[in-house]
Amino acid sequence: MLNDLLKKHISGIPEHAELRAQINTNRGVSIVSGNLVSNVRSQSSGVCARVYKNGVWGFAAKGEYTDEAISDVLTAARNNADFLNTHAGRGKPPLVPVQPPFNPLKRDYVDVPQSAYIDFCRELDDYITNKYKNLASRTVIARADSMEKLLYTSEGGYSHAIMPRAYIYVVLSAETPDGDTVELFEPIGGGEGYFDELYKSPEDCHKEIDKLYEELMQKREGIFPNAGLRDVVLDATLAGMLAHEAVGHTVEADLVMAGSVASKTLGREVASDKITMIDFAHTALGKPVPLPVYVDDEGTPCEDAVLIKDGILVGYMHNRESAMYYDVKPTGNARAHKFSDEPLIRMRNTAILPGKDKLSDMIASIDNGYYLTRTQNGQADTTGEFMFGITMGYEIKNGKLGRALRDTTISGVAFEMLKTVDMVSDDMVWSSSGYCGKKQLMPVSMGGPAIKCKVNIGGR
Amino acid sequence: MTNKEIAVFTLDALKKAGADHAQCVVTTGLSEEIDAENSEFTKMISLFDAGVAMKAIKDGKKGTMFINSLNEEDIIKAAEECVAAANASVVDDAVRIAELTENKSFEKGVLSPDKEKFFFRIKEYVDEIKKTYPQIVLEQLIADYSCAETVFMNTNGVEFNYKNGYYSLTPMFSAHDGEKTTSFNYFEIAFTSLEDSIIELAGQRDIFDQTVKLLDAEAFTGKFEGQAIIVPSCLADFISMAVGNFVSDGTIIDGTSPWRNMLGQKVASDCLTLSVNPLDECMVAGERITDDGYISENYDIIKNGVLESFCLSDYAARKTGESRAKNSSSCYVVAPGEQSLDEIIKSTEKGILVCRFSGGSPAINGDFSGVAKNSFLIENGRISKPITETMISGNIAAMLKNISGISKEVICDGHTKLPWIRFDGITVSGKVE
Repeated sequence: MLNDLLKKHISGIPEHAELRAQINTNRGVSIVSGNLVSNVRSQSSGVCARVYKNGVWGFAAKGEYTDEAISDVLTAARNNADFLNTHAGRGKPPLVPVQPPFNPLKRDYVDVPQSAYIDFCRELDDYITNKYKNLASRTVIARADSMEKLLYTSEGGYSHAIMPRAYIYVVLSAETPDGDTVELFEPIGGGEGYFDELYKSPEDCHKEIDKLYEELMQKREGIFPNAGLRDVVLDATLAGMLAHEAVGHTVEADLVMAGSVASKTLGREVASDKITMIDFAHTALGKPVPLPVYVDDEGTPCEDAVLIKDGILVGYMHNRESAMYYDVKPTGNARAHKFSDEPLIRMRNTAILPGKDKLSDMIASIDNGYYLTRTQNGQADTTGEFMFGITMGYEIKNGKLGRALRDTTISGVAFEMLKTVDMVSDDMVWSSSGYCGKKQLMPVSMGGPAIKCKVNIGGR
Repeated sequence: MTNKEIAVFTLDALKKAGADHAQCVVTTGLSEEIDAENSEFTKMISLFDAGVAMKAIKDGKKGTMFINSLNEEDIIKAAEECVAAANASVVDDAVRIAELTENKSFEKGVLSPDKEKFFFRIKEYVDEIKKTYPQIVLEQLIADYSCAETVFMNTNGVEFNYKNGYYSLTPMFSAHDGEKTTSFNYFEIAFTSLEDSIIELAGQRDIFDQTVKLLDAEAFTGKFEGQAIIVPSCLADFISMAVGNFVSDGTIIDGTSPWRNMLGQKVASDCLTLSVNPLDECMVAGERITDDGYISENYDIIKNGVLESFCLSDYAARKTGESRAKNSSSCYVVAPGEQSLDEIIKSTEKGILVCRFSGGSPAINGDFSGVAKNSFLIENGRISKPITETMISGNIAAMLKNISGISKEVICDGHTKLPWIRFDGITVSGKVE
């Protein structure tokens, strides 16, 4: 029914146009020190239209699936494109056509009852309470979200896709001997899929909770690092953050066009020749990526965007407009988060590829430095200057791990720091539990191996 | 149906689904947005918005649900899901809905936009930046008009109506000159009048002037402990971190806030009064009804350095035996000081003017560190040079006790009203070998 309505309205539109119907769901449960403080379900759904005219776009969205709503948003989007074209026209040519995709739905939506999240979290909370008596606080969170998109384009493109995710997060805190409080946070398991597929039994999470507790106890006795430019091994989870935050945003073509550091370095050496970085669409190294995307929200079939190859900056992530500007093939990076959002150039599954070194050899090669293992957040600039909060790590003395670290920060300039990489581990870790923020939120995944490099680390 | 009729229908659906007590917030609205990229207009967006947020309490257990559909069938289904979520929850005595006091309607701001004039002002803004600040690139400009009509109702008979509309502008920009590029900066201003040029609002010219000066920034080397003057737009971030860590639901409920037992005691320098004032005339989108269904009132978090109030929801207040906050907004206001910004800079021997902070969440005890972006070194009473790759670190609780200057100038951006504040004892570090 909805398919027929969308098809009916998109046919005969003279300009390039997209019609998208979309449902986003969110489920959330938070138990803070035994109190169920959040028990939330939400759903937003609706239809949107986007129309291109001489270099400007008109977009409109409405939270209904009716014939009238589709007609309204298409009319409003065309009027908006006309208004802008009349008042501030850019006189650009039509978009270069792409092969219209045909991408039918591969899986159905499954609504997991709220009791499943609550019961699971309560069991984990009971496990923590019964086993660990010296915590200052504990939080157990379950989160699940999904995006289901039905897209028709005026070129005849069709895509129907769903991306569900579910995760458990545990936050533990403990008092230090000097009266402060330290905290650790960990997403446990999860990934693409539905909660009941991904989490069969609370017992499956116990091992990771035990490890988190053990590290928290080490952090209680932790030291502050000696500030300055230091030799470090960034664990694989940090390398993913580095790929996404410090490099990834600077090679999104819209930010390149705005003058990011990558606008002046295409074809140049920006990293050690041990670094290759790719924004994967749906398959990496012969396996499905954590959050596969087959067709983007402009109706472009998705391809990998190779960004850095053997240390040379070789490409950017594109939508159709930026690809036309740079005279390259679009990579399918135009993504929208909700029905009410227009597609923007966004990352998908961004990763640094593994090398040939062993993590143990990388640690052993450092006389005086740090092994940094957990980060909770990171921010970067279009200049490539970045900072990550470090929540767990260890000092390295004479090639051996020493005392744990308290919270600190690392910073640097991505294309300078990546040139200092001299070892890259032969394994790789993906994480997909977060959102990227760039006007809209967007589920993304990031991955990489451990890397050895020099970076500025903060002290106290 | 009107929003009120939808609210009545929703409460009825929740009761029929089995709720003992219920609350709903029905919102309809319109957003008209015009965006520019690299100083060229690229898109225009219309969003016809709607939503029903519902809360059900069943046998002392709570569930919440949000849908953006006003369709009766969807509301009935959502109400059933909401009550099912409550049934799956746990009994908690702190879960309630607001008691009936006084029902009221509010109306504020621009309820009918002047689309042509708004576009004229935005175009004038873009043209003025091109002309006066040729090195500035507006990487992204979001100009938005939004209005909303909200009805809050619960089964205790509480009923509020609020209509509000305003314009806002969010530029993200950097300066470029040949090979030289600055970090980006951004801010948001909200306003209701189109009579004057938008660029004259909220001290924007100073920010653009500073950004151009940053083209000559150099990496800072060395490390010192000194003073940090934090500009209003960045101060809002530090206040949010302090509020989040020390006085909000999470850390007060779990007892990890270092201020948990500090009500009525000194937590900051005497000169600091920090309030949350959505009723202040300059807060164009100021809240009138709290998230829990009470009439919003202004209140002080800190008055003359003494902790007066936590920022607690009704639930957290019951849970902890404390008082709920008188509003649930983040319309932060810091009372101005007696010195001018110029006097504060002149009396700064060695420090940093922090114009943007890029840092993670502070540790539970308030320890923080991060990059001071778009910032300037201050030496011997004057702004000596722009700097990059500079980290600042300290402890937010300690900072608040080490205030050595609050400017008499304040900036209201439509969401907050803040001065420049100088904090002592901040560690400033650059590249240290």
